[in-house]
Amino acid sequence: MGWISVDLMVSIFHRKSLRKAAVFIMLFILPFLSSCKATHTQDKSQKNIDSPTAVYLIKEKKAAVIDTMSYLECMDHRIPGSHCIALEEIDKKLLPAFPNKSQLLIFYCESDKCSRAGQAYEKAKLLGYESVYILEDGLVAWKRAGYEVETIQRVKRAPVISIKSVRLKEFIKERKDTFVLDIRSEDAFKANHLDGAKNIPFFMLHKRLDEIPKNVPVIVIDENGKRSFLACCYLINNGVKDVIRLFGGMETMVRQTRNKDNT
Amino acid sequence: MMKKCRVLILIPFLGFFLFAVSAYAATLKIQCSDCHDSEKFTTGFKGSVHGNTGCTSCHAGFKSLDKHVIFKEKPALISCGTCHSEIEKQYRNSFHSLYEDFKCYDCHYDIHTLKPEKENLKIAVTKNCTKCHTNDEYALSGHGAAVMKGNKDTATCSDCHGLHDTKAYHTSGETYLLEAREFYNKTCKACHSNKEMMERNNISPNAVKYYEETYHGKVQDLGYPTSVAGCADCHTNHNILPKSNPASTIHPKNLTQNCGKCHPGIHPRFAEYKAHPDYRDKERYPQLYVSFLLMAGLLLVTFVFFWTHTLLWWRKVYWERHQMEELGIKLESPFTHKEGIERIKRFSVTDRIMHVLLIISFFGLVITGFPLKYHSTPWAGAIIKALGGAHNAGLYHRAAALILIGLFLYTLLKCFRFAFPKGFRKEGWRGFSARIFGPDSLMPNAQDWRQFKAMVKWFFGKGKPPTFGRWTYWEKFDFLAVFWGMIAIGGSGVTLWAPGLASWVYPGWVLNIASIVHSEEALLAALFIFTVHFFNTHLIPSKFPMDTIIFTGSYKLEELWRFRTPEYERLVKEGRLESLKVKHPSITLKIISSMFGHASLWIGLLFTLILLWTFFFA
Repeated sequence: MGWISVDLMVSIFHRKSLRKAAVFIMLFILPFLSSCKATHTQDKSQKNIDSPTAVYLIKEKKAAVIDTMSYLECMDHRIPGSHCIALEEIDKKLLPAFPNKSQLLIFYCESDKCSRAGQAYEKAKLLGYESVYILEDGLVAWKRAGYEVETIQRVKRAPVISIKSVRLKEFIKERKDTFVLDIRSEDAFKANHLDGAKNIPFFMLHKRLDEIPKNVPVIVIDENGKRSFLACCYLINNGVKDVIRLFGGMETMVRQTRNKDNT
Repeated sequence: MMKKCRVLILIPFLGFFLFAVSAYAATLKIQCSDCHDSEKFTTGFKGSVHGNTGCTSCHAGFKSLDKHVIFKEKPALISCGTCHSEIEKQYRNSFHSLYEDFKCYDCHYDIHTLKPEKENLKIAVTKNCTKCHTNDEYALSGHGAAVMKGNKDTATCSDCHGLHDTKAYHTSGETYLLEAREFYNKTCKACHSNKEMMERNNISPNAVKYYEETYHGKVQDLGYPTSVAGCADCHTNHNILPKSNPASTIHPKNLTQNCGKCHPGIHPRFAEYKAHPDYRDKERYPQLYVSFLLMAGLLLVTFVFFWTHTLLWWRKVYWERHQMEELGIKLESPFTHKEGIERIKRFSVTDRIMHVLLIISFFGLVITGFPLKYHSTPWAGAIIKALGGAHNAGLYHRAAALILIGLFLYTLLKCFRFAFPKGFRKEGWRGFSARIFGPDSLMPNAQDWRQFKAMVKWFFGKGKPPTFGRWTYWEKFDFLAVFWGMIAIGGSGVTLWAPGLASWVYPGWVLNIASIVHSEEALLAALFIFTVHFFNTHLIPSKFPMDTIIFTGSYKLEELWRFRTPEYERLVKEGRLESLKVKHPSITLKIISSMFGHASLWIGLLFTLILLWTFFFA
């Protein structure tokens, strides 16, 4: 462009036709520009914190860490010093445990695919707690960050076989004495469940163990297949002989049923 | 003095006594097995893999044995990672550790009697994993059955999923979709591209290589495995059986259903698509072999002819220019300077807009399409990333294709209007052949052949350069080549765009041919435009660095007279020259033309260099 004098450049920039040219050039460039994705699109709320922040809050601000899973899971492995208050018990147990509402609370879940900490957060806020946080991606993130977990009372692991939802009905038909145990929350159970299933939420399992027959096949159903393994191990350790877990939990079953209906 | 001597005599006795007492005490030292005396901790432990280590190697951290024996102190927690540090490092990020909080002894069941694996390790792994992962599908699959038969090449659980580093991809495959697909595709490929291993197991050693030559393989290799079929999509995760097995998803009777998972609404003949074809194998894939040969031949002939033509032309023009400069010859002109710079219209506004759109669509297609063709090069990945991924690139490619198809259809309409200005009835046909082979037509005629011969003679210094009419023979070729190109690239492109729909018209193997044709014809078109067209039209010394006539629409009267004398004479004879005189293009138009033209030209040349680098070095 060196051959265009400055005066000429100034004069032509006032022309209407140049505006048209600019529009034209933009039209050419726009499709390519639009493809450049913003790299920081994640909209993470401030309530979500990562593991090092959680460690800082625990040490420096005396934050209380609350495991929102069931009692059995919490006793099996948890962030050191955690309080075991299952999501279903937040309304009942949180206030007695932490009467001071300015107490910093950090809720966490078993894994990155669990919404219990989020629900606990909402409940705590409703109860009036001011500083509530969620450990993002739960225990999985905690472990990934290299922090240790503590075990108070371990549920001895045992080989647990699983059954896929496509085979479940067939199995129940063959073994009519099958006991279907749904360990999801009462609300989730009310929303959808298998006919004849018994609902004992996981946080109550150790208290209602006697309701589970020991000599018939027991099929354990959870939300997404991530929790039933430990529940099954607990049942096996307590004398239930034939324990099977539903692969992928109720979520997978619902999705596969929906897909089947669609096709 | 005597007393002193007695004391001295006593010292050795005292020493001996202390030694004897300590030796006796040592024999009394409590062994772990004194209390932990079950067979597991005694003979069982001694025969185990850890038998040569002591109990406290693992159960460390005792402060007081006395307290331990009265159950008041427990040893510290066991850390296998103290010795097995590498394994521990891997295991900490594994699925079993992150999600299930498994400890070592949850898989290595009885750690105290753990013995070195004597049987085939693959069988042992399968047996151990399937204690929980009761996967009938795997057990029945080609891999599982072969493992249990003792085949040491075949994949056991840990070969795909990792042993201590089991990936945190949930087996239902709904989380970490990208990572899981990338990982498992890579895992399958690692073994299936091992030539020796595949050959000794009577499996095609080139299945991976041929897969990577298909659309599925290319997109996957670019780093977008979620968009296309990976290994497990067709062969399944665990129920992997040979084609001959009726239960296999790739058995001919199951193929339509298998392909239909991703391509709904297909005709059964869609399944004739070859997922791992070798177009060099004329016995198995004769159609593909012939298609590739034809396309390769077309490229060879076209480039040999036109590159030779261009080189000779260049040499001649440079030579003549050199002679003129050396001898001080100036070109004569019948016009005064003022007359000579008068502008004559050559292209209408519609023509110019069409060419701009053509450039945009062409570059859009090249930029979004070529990374797929050369998927394994670093520039391919960079371009696709800049475009926002393979999916976006595909969308842009299709949008550009639609512009090109629109231009082509409009050109066809213009051709019909030119050939039949008064419609298709009887009077419309009058003068048809004169129009088609006349000076305004882009249809080649005998005159072009004569001009070509004269041009070749001039290249070799055996005659004067020919003068041309409204269209030169290479301009006609440029125009007509698009018709072939649109049939080849457009036809194959539309086929590949809607493969399911295409299966209702022709069998699946046509998709393989369409891939070859689309890819090779694209190379032909791009290289032809970026070398032959660019050099003939812009980079030739008389027009260097570029001729903006296609954007400004007009050229100098002297240019018309000098290079297209017959056309000038025809316009004068028909009295149309005056009506074609137009104003000098505005500065705005010149700037835009120059910017757009240069951008296109240099992008094209840069792309040519990238392609050449790819051919010779990548």
